[in-house]
Amino acid sequence: MARHRKACPVCEAGIRQIDYKDERRLSRFITERGKILPRRISGMCARHQRQVGSAIKRARYLALLPYIAGFDS
Amino acid sequence: MVGFHIPAPHTGAEPQTTGKVGLREYEAVYIFNSALEEAAVNEKLDRFHALVANDQGGEVSAVDHWGRRQLAYAIEDQKNGYYVVTHFTTSAERLPEFERLLKLDEDLLRYLVVVNEGNLSTSPAPVIEDRGDGEDEDGEEEDR
Repeated sequence: MARHRKACPVCEAGIRQIDYKDERRLSRFITERGKILPRRISGMCARHQRQVGSAIKRARYLALLPYIAGFDS
Repeated sequence: MVGFHIPAPHTGAEPQTTGKVGLREYEAVYIFNSALEEAAVNEKLDRFHALVANDQGGEVSAVDHWGRRQLAYAIEDQKNGYYVVTHFTTSAERLPEFERLLKLDEDLLRYLVVVNEGNLSTSPAPVIEDRGDGEDEDGEEEDR
């Protein structure tokens, strides 16, 4: 059964470049625990999944996004 | 496709090489101790940038103070940091010395230097309007 593949949300939004400092936009692609959403859920094309992945990792390093969300140490 | 042909980025941005040989555009993000005053931060930035702007025409093209903001997690027991984003061009051989100075600075909680590919903006991301379509929310309950 062929399932319709939905369009990549980044392509659709026409974002020219993924900015790792734009943590609001990136936060759409992480779970409530702070994990990066897998492709099958994010629906992104390979290129954008890769770019968003690295951007999230950079944003985590800069404490813009959490490595692990939702717990208090 | 053999050789050094680098395909143009899909963003359609013009190539980032400046006219001069060996210079590249970089972006740096600094997170300073939030207890620092802006004047002290500026003084430190001047010291850092003195290394960048030397000899072969490297220069700082943009400095943007985001100011104090909350960190997503504590760094060195600090919950807030003073963010500064800068753009500069310099030659690659100057970077080790530059980064050495950054590492030595105890009031600099963290820094990131990346090659500026495309056109990154230095300013904090604007609050984007939620378009209000709920159809992007699928799959959220699957994340465990």
